[in-house]
Amino acid sequence: MTTGTQPTALTSLQGHYAGAVSRLAAFAIDMAVSSGLFALGLAVITYVVNLLTSRHVAWNKGDIIVAVVYVGWEFLYFAYSWSVDGKTFGMAVLGVQVVRADGTDLEPRQAVIRTLALPLSFLLLGLGFALMLVQREHRALHDLIAGTAVVYAWDARAARIRFLARQARVPRPVPGGQHPASGTERS
Amino acid sequence: MAILDTVDPRDRLRSVGKRMADPAEALAQRVAERVIDLVVQALDVNALIQRVDLNTVLDQVDLNEVLKKVDVPALVDRVDIGKIVDRVDIDEILSRVDIEALLDRVDVNALMARIDMDALIEQTDLGAVIAQSSGGVASEALDAVRSQFVGLDRFIDRWAWRLLRRNAPRPAAPAALMPAGTEP
Repeated sequence: MTTGTQPTALTSLQGHYAGAVSRLAAFAIDMAVSSGLFALGLAVITYVVNLLTSRHVAWNKGDIIVAVVYVGWEFLYFAYSWSVDGKTFGMAVLGVQVVRADGTDLEPRQAVIRTLALPLSFLLLGLGFALMLVQREHRALHDLIAGTAVVYAWDARAARIRFLARQARVPRPVPGGQHPASGTERS
Repeated sequence: MAILDTVDPRDRLRSVGKRMADPAEALAQRVAERVIDLVVQALDVNALIQRVDLNTVLDQVDLNEVLKKVDVPALVDRVDIGKIVDRVDIDEILSRVDIEALLDRVDVNALMARIDMDALIEQTDLGAVIAQSSGGVASEALDAVRSQFVGLDRFIDRWAWRLLRRNAPRPAAPAALMPAGTEP
């Protein structure tokens, strides 16, 4: 597959502050994945209970217990991921990472504070997230509270090399329609 | 008077002087050679050299002038480099080199920055090797997706900054992640 996208100008963005689009997309992926895992967990529990007791368990969306467990699960998902290596699944996919405001590695305490502060960015009509656009360092409300920042962890230089390598594999058309004479065979 | 006009009385003296001078000169030559031999034998050359201040002597030598007179290409032509290299024990030399200290003095990052990776990959089979090792469909798709999102990030940032009418540029990265030699 050749995508045709050439990350030419992105060779030096690793470690730079990540923009709002990448961050929100990563968050959306995380919400989808964590919610999916939660639903899968409920389904497994339902199946096991049904198998062991022959009783059908129905989960109600309005059930307070389910809500509390869901919130706990989300807390665990984000706080654990950030404290382990500063990135969740969605962030890993989009190549962004949470670090301390000075760029050093995140501490577990900050990961927990960031997770707890994350809902505040929602509660204020999304204004906490809007800070990413207007704040000099692209830091949202929960970043400012936890003393964190989000940077690109994607090695665009390696991507550039992979891109060039793919291009090098493809025989280039030469005038006259002849295959370029090279001593090596490229598949 | 006529005879006296044609005969120079000093000619006779000259003739006598010449007859005496030749043997005397030969004698002086022999005496000088003998004396020099005796002096050289009596001299302690090593002690003499020790007393010579070679630095002072060398200070007075204009090496540039000397080198101008040397035909270096002709000199090099006369040197058998192969024979010299054969006599050099590379292993012995390398065993004396402190590789760690040497590497500490090399700025590898600066060295890498000087490498034109694009040209390297295009002109060698390194590209094929990298492609075989890392060219999965997933990584290609991921590179593409990330590139698109980074492009969108920069587009949105640019417009947001323009709408806010801010002229001062944003800091690129946190201090600890700022590449060496760049301003925050």
